[in-house]
Amino acid sequence: MTRRVLRGFALGLMSATIFVASQAHAHSQPYSWIDLVATPDSLLGEVTAHVVDVAHELGAVAPESLASASGLAVHAAAVREVFARQLDLRAEDVRLTGTIGAIAYLPEKNALRAQVAFARPHSSSLEVHGPLFVWEDTHETYVNLRASGRLEVQDLLDHTHTRATWMTGEKRDLGRVVLRFVREGIHHIFIGPDHILFILGLLLLGGSLRQLLRIVTAFTIAHSLTLVVATLGWLQPPARVIEPMIAMSIIVVGIENLLAKQRHRDWRARLAFGFGLVHGFGFASVLRELALPADALGGALVSFNVGVELGQMAIVVIAAPTLALLRRWRPAWSPGILQGGSLVVIAAGAFWLVERLLAH
Amino acid sequence: MRSFRLLFTLSLLLAPLTARAHEYWLAPLSYQAGAGDTVVVRAYVGTGFKGEGKPLAARRVVRLEARTTRRVDIRSLGLNGADDYARLVLPDAGGASVAFQSDFARIELPAAQFEAYLKLEGLEEPLRERVRTKTSNAPGRERYARCCRTWLHGTDVARGIEPAGLTLEVVPTADPTVLKRASFRVLLRGQPLGGALVRAWNRPLDTGGRPFAVATRDSLGPVYEGRTRADGTVTIPVERGGEWMVSCVHMEPSDVRSEADWQSLWANFTFARPARSRPR
Repeated sequence: MTRRVLRGFALGLMSATIFVASQAHAHSQPYSWIDLVATPDSLLGEVTAHVVDVAHELGAVAPESLASASGLAVHAAAVREVFARQLDLRAEDVRLTGTIGAIAYLPEKNALRAQVAFARPHSSSLEVHGPLFVWEDTHETYVNLRASGRLEVQDLLDHTHTRATWMTGEKRDLGRVVLRFVREGIHHIFIGPDHILFILGLLLLGGSLRQLLRIVTAFTIAHSLTLVVATLGWLQPPARVIEPMIAMSIIVVGIENLLAKQRHRDWRARLAFGFGLVHGFGFASVLRELALPADALGGALVSFNVGVELGQMAIVVIAAPTLALLRRWRPAWSPGILQGGSLVVIAAGAFWLVERLLAH
Repeated sequence: MRSFRLLFTLSLLLAPLTARAHEYWLAPLSYQAGAGDTVVVRAYVGTGFKGEGKPLAARRVVRLEARTTRRVDIRSLGLNGADDYARLVLPDAGGASVAFQSDFARIELPAAQFEAYLKLEGLEEPLRERVRTKTSNAPGRERYARCCRTWLHGTDVARGIEPAGLTLEVVPTADPTVLKRASFRVLLRGQPLGGALVRAWNRPLDTGGRPFAVATRDSLGPVYEGRTRADGTVTIPVERGGEWMVSCVHMEPSDVRSEADWQSLWANFTFARPARSRPR
């Protein structure tokens, strides 16, 4: 019996320790609420956030100082800014700007409630992005959106589900879809050093315009194929397989550069095609995260691919002539550029390979 | 002392588990209600039968059902983000129960934390399987769901002791409010689950059958801990009055291996026993 009591005590203590420790870096009510009503030309509603979250965003402000009308009045302008910054409403992915009105303290929730008003443009979708606060990964934002007296959206946003979408029933502007996804494609190429390095690796060896066109075309065809296949859901290899393979492709391209001169054969177009298939799966995973519009799937897919091509061409147009000029200007540097550049490519690829294998 | 040190070490290891390692339970604002009274049921999340209110997440509700004179699906009545999971007007003095099941949420833990958590929850089968497959050093990729039920005692005991049909369920086999030692059965997909670790917590109630505020009350250790027999039952001494929570965790290989390697179901049953009832 004594042992059982001791064990109970220990478990109680352990539970308390877990709870206290967990509270040390996270407050106990990591919730916020966004309640909106859509009219034909506006979005009106309330946003409710715990004082701890608002105080955290404000910086050097104690949460308790927001828990009274007088304290709130002192920080009113800054609190409004927090709400304006954190509340992310979009129409077809274009962020809306609105006004934050009266803010009140709710003692029962120890939270602040702000009245909000946004002009609503004509759009096929309205999205609420969240959660409202990301400084702790347990935060959840409850989203309710009403229109024409009906509850159209009831959702919960957290670090794994970051968008609540209401399809308004209005027709989508295809031009806007094209612009957005072209931009996303370009953006993805330029924020992805692995894709850039793969392309640069293919260019290091130089070659005629015809050779370069063959390489670029092979890469384009291959990644376009798998981008379509994966986006349509026909084949979606897991990221834990694709990401290390992309790193591996960079290593192989670097090694190929070092061996090509001895072999007197240029396999770069074949490599570009083979590994282009792998890179396409990588592009597709990015595209999936962008939440493709179901009613403009084709347009979005083609536009994203065009964006990727534009980004890729920009790299080729800058890098290929620069390398060619460098070789012509200082022919003696040519082997050094090839070998040094290839070693850098191999080293970066190896680093990513290890990093990604460990991550998965 | 060794086991105490082990538990303390485990507690430190598990401290980062804020979301999943907590119990998640339903409780009415008051366990005392008669015909015509309005009963409000809310959910709480925490450890040691202490915690915080957990608003309703409509997207995650798989089942939300009230049982009075009949079973009613109340999913569409719950408002996303609201504190109240159910608001019922009791049609008679027979009592009521409310059952809730969530969908699966995902979590991934470093190997050491995952192993410690498996040990803490007595999940021996996954522990053995990870040893057998030499994956004890691999991160724990898990998805978990909640299966909770609360019971307001009344004249119709069947409303508490008949299973609600949750995927994992803790069900009393007879009225635990009048017995000195009550038997509870753990059902997995309607079938008895043997060898499952069951824990029970108990705490006094405030006046009017109201639980003390969950956020400010003390954290408690379980008053009972034991494994179910082959027929899925355990017998728990329940002579103390107050609010009770009987809980069980079950883990099995995930149905969706692309999402997780393991899936766990967290079930509990809450009820109250009058402080002055005469045990028999």
